[in-house]
Amino acid sequence: MNNGDEIMRCEGIQERGVIARQFMLKVMIIFAAVFSPCLVKAESLAETVKTVEATHFNRYVAEYKLPDVSVLRQDGQKLAFLKALDDGRPVILNFVFISCSAICPMMSHIFSKVQDKLTKEGQPFHLVTISIDPESDTPAMLTEYGKKFSAGPNWSFYTGSRAVSLALQKAFKAYRGDKMNHAALIFLRPQSGKPWVRLEGFVSPDVVVDEYKSLLHPN
Amino acid sequence: MIPQPAIFPSTHQEPSVFFSSRWLLGLGLLVLTSMAYAEIPAVNSEEVALGRRIYMEGILPSGEPLKGMRQNVVQLEGATAACETCHRRSGIGSLEANISVKPITGAFLFATDDNRPMALLDTRAANDITKPHAPYTEASLAKAIREGINVSGRQMNILMPHYALSDKDIKALTAYLRQLSSELSPGVGEDTLQFATIITPDVDPKKAEVMVRMMHVAFDQRNVSQQVYSGRMRSPLDLLPRKLRNWQLKVWQLTGAPETWAAQLAENYRRNPVFAVISGVSNSTWEPVSQFCEQEKLPCLLPSVPLPPTKSSFYLRYFSRGVALEADVLATQLRNKEIKSPQRLLQIYRNTEVGHGAAQKLSEDLKGSDVKVEDRILASTKPADIKALLKGVSSQDAVMLWLNPADLAAVNKAAPKQVPAVVYISGFLADEDYSFVSKAWKSHVRVVYPYELGEKRQKNADKMKQWLKTWQLPLVDEPFQNEVFFDLLLITDLSSQMLDNFYRDYLVERTEDMLSIGSNVSAYPYLSLSRNQGFASKGAYIAHLDAKGELVADTEWLTP
Repeated sequence: MNNGDEIMRCEGIQERGVIARQFMLKVMIIFAAVFSPCLVKAESLAETVKTVEATHFNRYVAEYKLPDVSVLRQDGQKLAFLKALDDGRPVILNFVFISCSAICPMMSHIFSKVQDKLTKEGQPFHLVTISIDPESDTPAMLTEYGKKFSAGPNWSFYTGSRAVSLALQKAFKAYRGDKMNHAALIFLRPQSGKPWVRLEGFVSPDVVVDEYKSLLHPN
Repeated sequence: MIPQPAIFPSTHQEPSVFFSSRWLLGLGLLVLTSMAYAEIPAVNSEEVALGRRIYMEGILPSGEPLKGMRQNVVQLEGATAACETCHRRSGIGSLEANISVKPITGAFLFATDDNRPMALLDTRAANDITKPHAPYTEASLAKAIREGINVSGRQMNILMPHYALSDKDIKALTAYLRQLSSELSPGVGEDTLQFATIITPDVDPKKAEVMVRMMHVAFDQRNVSQQVYSGRMRSPLDLLPRKLRNWQLKVWQLTGAPETWAAQLAENYRRNPVFAVISGVSNSTWEPVSQFCEQEKLPCLLPSVPLPPTKSSFYLRYFSRGVALEADVLATQLRNKEIKSPQRLLQIYRNTEVGHGAAQKLSEDLKGSDVKVEDRILASTKPADIKALLKGVSSQDAVMLWLNPADLAAVNKAAPKQVPAVVYISGFLADEDYSFVSKAWKSHVRVVYPYELGEKRQKNADKMKQWLKTWQLPLVDEPFQNEVFFDLLLITDLSSQMLDNFYRDYLVERTEDMLSIGSNVSAYPYLSLSRNQGFASKGAYIAHLDAKGELVADTEWLTP
């Protein structure tokens, strides 16, 4: 539903006009796509920006001001999100929605593998998955979803109101205007108060685990 | 708007004088036909069926589950590995963020660059999702599927799993892809695109009329704006070849009892096999319509109905679950331990499918809770009958009225002086009319309200109101007309994006993906669909009436 208001205001429902505007939008999107990583870089701590060409992902270090919102965990428990994050465990976080067909299952598979590896090694961790389709993704559905990926006790799924999900996506600079526009993002934080590492693109579970280790045990 | 005369003919391809010669055309056709025979192997229906199972269900011809591997670490199996998960039913693919899932029907894979169609026009696709490439052969397709190397020799996106398919499996899958979305759907003519809208006999003729008028105006506008296109290039995208198709609207006005609707729909459809049903309105059941659309694989998109059938279907999508959603929202509120709930809730409803359906849902939802639910059927609006109906209701009880404005007014008027603690009202059924509420009731009334409130709502509604004014159309029922208007803009956008790929499955897939993008001209706060989601709005407010008689939300947007 692009440009609904303009369609109505001008010559009525006019396909060509829509196409022209869509082209302009397209140009803007390309522009945004090219320059937005720079914005993230600009506000990150910028010491450790590296691009790994082979696996097509970018790594940034950034500080995010997270909102103090209440969320619903997959077991139906209402929790203060900041408190849930600051329980002492290192956090690895992503955003998904259940009805998503391509990107999210991949992201959840990666989390599942990360979970297995870290559990095997006896490492402390808290995998956090936040729904970007919270009105559909109820706690019960998230529980089912977790089962599909063999989620254990250290992997929590959070939903809540649409406003809360939007606030969290925006805080992590993960909001792209619509759930169908979401990107593959993973965030890691060794402990409360430390900056976040942001991995953009598809990374292998090994990359995530290595990142986790280097954050927890720097050199 | 006065249509500008066309300076140049439209992009419609005019046959040149040379080709207008009949025998040449005939010869051309003959050559084309024989070429087609030479290129496309004969359809083996058994192979197609086996291919379909791989594509749709992730089951190999051997009966074993399909297995795929992503990134050498993620193993997919069975339904989650099925091609349909990403490439969708139509095979025309989709766009998730900046990742384009490529179209993989025969028309895209095996065509040359000259005759390959375009799949999609989407603002999110920085590049056209159909890139030029050599036609696939069975061998190069096998390499792509098994090794992730496309026909141009490039590594494909890591989301595309590698599948260990045998030659026999590849053959079956290829046979399926060759015939998938190979023929335009019924209702798509050479220069026309036919839509229907459906009206059940219980609908207020004023409402039905305004819907049909809105649809005709929008269709005319769309057809005219297509024809007045001057041929000047406004952007490179204007050069995209596409057929100009005039939209036609068929109004299927049903009559008589619901049992007879199926036959009426079948007869209408036989006369005009439309591409899709857009909008539509009912105050009673939608079940026969839904069954018919399901049976004909006919998309039936976003009608205005109070209680849609619960059975989910790929082809049927609704604005919301209607009164069933309101029942769930109210139950969520009454089960909330932080709020003092009444001990007894009396439901009053008409013994219709909608009234009964709503009441039954609320009863089910409150089973096992602290609230005791009692059902009472409103059979007449005689004051004595209403008094009898409300007998014994105390100031400790709550009442839920699943009633339309006329019944609400009658109940309020005849109600005893003893006012219940809370009088809940269905926002869907009340039709925005709260003028009936008496002084005594005012502070007790709570509306389960499925639409947006306040400024945001006004802003969204204004767009439609201005459009109505421009075209001198009346405002009869705002949320309803907002729904119709939303549908008209949606179908205009979708058809523009689909280019010439008028396949019903693709239409539904685009509806799923597009619904949450862009401006919202509906009365709902937020509309969004997705794969396997039948209902776009998922919540409601509980609201009270302020001094001016305006609704003000007591709760946040509740999504049960």
